Amino acid sequence: MSGSHNLSRRDFTKAVMTFVGAVMGAVVGIPVAGYLVSPAVKAQKTDAWVTIGPLDDYTAGQPALFSFTRAKVNGWEKTVNSYGVYVVRAEGDAVKVLSNACTHLGCRVTWQQDQNAYTCPCHDARFGRDGEVLSGPPPRALDGYETRVENGTLSIRLLE
Amino acid sequence: MTNKKVFNWLDERLGLTAIYKTIFERKIPKVNWWFTLGSATLFLFALQVVTGIMLSVYYVPSPDKAYDSIEFIMSGVAFGWLIRGIHHWGATLMVITVFIHMLRVFFYGAYKYPREITWVTGVFLLLATLGMGFTGYLLPWNQKAYWATTVGTSIAGTVPGIGDFILRALRGGDDLSGVTLARFFAAHIWIFPLLIIILIGVHLYLVIRIGISAVPGKND
Amino acid sequence: MTEDQKQAYKEKYLRAKHNGEHFFPDTIYKDLIVAFAIFLLLVGLALFVGVASEPRADPSDTSYVPRPEWYFLFLFEMLKFFPGNLEWLGTTIIPAAAVLALLLLPFFDRNPARHWKKRKFALGFMGIVVLGMVALTVRAAVTTPVQQESTVATTVAEKIAAGQDLYSVQCVECHGAEGEGGVVSGVEGLEGVTIKAIHTQDEMYTRNDDTLFNIVDYGQPNLGMPPFGKGYGGELSRSDIEYIVTFMRYSWDDRAELPKEAAQASAIPALGPDEIPSYDTHIAPLVKRYCVSCHRSGKENNNYLMTSYDQVMNSGDHEPNIVPGDLNSNLIRMLHREDIEAGGPMPPTKALKPEYIQLFERWIKAGAPQTTTK
Repeated sequence: MSGSHNLSRRDFTKAVMTFVGAVMGAVVGIPVAGYLVSPAVKAQKTDAWVTIGPLDDYTAGQPALFSFTRAKVNGWEKTVNSYGVYVVRAEGDAVKVLSNACTHLGCRVTWQQDQNAYTCPCHDARFGRDGEVLSGPPPRALDGYETRVENGTLSIRLLE
Repeated sequence: MTNKKVFNWLDERLGLTAIYKTIFERKIPKVNWWFTLGSATLFLFALQVVTGIMLSVYYVPSPDKAYDSIEFIMSGVAFGWLIRGIHHWGATLMVITVFIHMLRVFFYGAYKYPREITWVTGVFLLLATLGMGFTGYLLPWNQKAYWATTVGTSIAGTVPGIGDFILRALRGGDDLSGVTLARFFAAHIWIFPLLIIILIGVHLYLVIRIGISAVPGKND
Repeated sequence: MTEDQKQAYKEKYLRAKHNGEHFFPDTIYKDLIVAFAIFLLLVGLALFVGVASEPRADPSDTSYVPRPEWYFLFLFEMLKFFPGNLEWLGTTIIPAAAVLALLLLPFFDRNPARHWKKRKFALGFMGIVVLGMVALTVRAAVTTPVQQESTVATTVAEKIAAGQDLYSVQCVECHGAEGEGGVVSGVEGLEGVTIKAIHTQDEMYTRNDDTLFNIVDYGQPNLGMPPFGKGYGGELSRSDIEYIVTFMRYSWDDRAELPKEAAQASAIPALGPDEIPSYDTHIAPLVKRYCVSCHRSGKENNNYLMTSYDQVMNSGDHEPNIVPGDLNSNLIRMLHREDIEAGGPMPPTKALKPEYIQLFERWIKAGAPQTTTK
């Protein structure tokens, strides 16, 4: 066996090893990457009307909290998420429904009648009656929902 | 040539060249294709480790959720079916390669002096592989798994004298239950793999130290 | 082995090694090829054979034929040859002896020879053992009783569809096609009993899946509902009940969102204005959902069975209930809630939606074809 022959044989084996390794790495690696990030890619879309109840139950000018739950399938289990919304009724049928999740980091805000503001327990953010930012770190006003009143019953459109 | 400098610095301290030389530059007798089964088994084991770790990302070892989580792997996660498929068939192939590897060693008399210990570790590896098969079979918590394991553990229960004790130790109680699933899971992902890794280490050390056996000639 | 023999072996081995090959690249090349072949085989198996889906573990289903993984089959089969009082021989002594023999092989096999010609006894013995294992495995595979196949639904859509089918057969006669309940008619023992609706928020919000499961499984005998689970003498496996619960949850609980593909799968196929309805595409789903619960064998229904096209056309005490082209057929008159000789209004509790009745009428007018190609 001559030296050069030996060398080329080594190089050949190395090339084959690299090739085979690359093929196997790709055939396993790409699916594995997809497998791991899969839940991040497959987002569930929600688009539903949620009944809040008779509009007449709400006093004008007085934000009132309404809570409801939605069930969602996450992988192998059913997750029940609870939602809180503030119903802010103006005169007549004019109504605004605001999410109680702070737009900063998602902590739940509460209406403080004496301060005339929603306050967030996490970073002391304050929002005005219609959701506008009064003070603190939130980037935008409280999120509102599309509303609908049919036969005096208020519904909101839940979009996620 | 900074690359070379870095390598030399590391080599001086880690002895990489020496390791490389002992593993790759060694000479071995002329062997045939039957001698590839050992490395094939090692390859399959590595593949089982990778796919097994991946499966454990979504699998839940509880009687309520095990079945649902595997269903999710199969139809809810991208490529889950492929990863479970490789793991499932890999187990079958590994049993086959281990067994034929053992028959090859037996046929060539390679278990004789000076390779007795290599053989003994090999037999333990065979048993551990079967243990992996037995414990892994229960994990999907489907009908097949449940009933096969019920019968399988009952077989252990017929050992004279201590059968009942073994049965309860295997099942973690009198019945096949969530406790059984949890301990089979622990055995499948921790105990047996650890055992196999240690045994493979010893097995390979001996193979490299003593050298692979030669195909016996007429006078051997 | 004597010291001399050991020395001789070592020298000979050194020569073989010297005349041999390099691990890299010669040996590793072969290993690589074999590993790659195995890899391709594995991916092929995963791609084209896959892993068969099995029903969920069901301790109450005693009809299941237990079988271990194929590589334990020989052990399993071997036990058939040991009578009860000698069972421990097959389960303990033989396997333990085999493992021990295998482990200690290098220590009791004192024959220094390695070539097969000089080890005929050892190889012959091993050969017989391996052949025996293969034979036992084959015997086990051949003698295994055929497992009754059961449908396995994997996605939510499949579960809902399977649940709807089961609900149609098992539940509709009392609870109605939409869970609306009402006065029961034609059910032995429950004639005239009023059953409350189970599709309401009151029901769905206050009962979780486990509760619903248990109600179907055990029934509520004091309220008149018999058990449906196999464990209590009913017909349904645990998977079946799970599918029914899934169907109920997604159909009647407005908090649970029906996945799009599921909504499409369970919809009654729409019909174009000039299209001719056929039994297979349009009528069968309606029959399955609204009629089969009572009109199947073992039920009180004037022997009118509706589980296949032929039965729908020609069966029952008042046959024919359908005359192609004749809108005065029994079936149509009963759908219009007429009380005639062949029976009362159908379905007994609640009229079908007008568009469904219209579908039946258009189908009969068109000659009641089984398939569209006809």
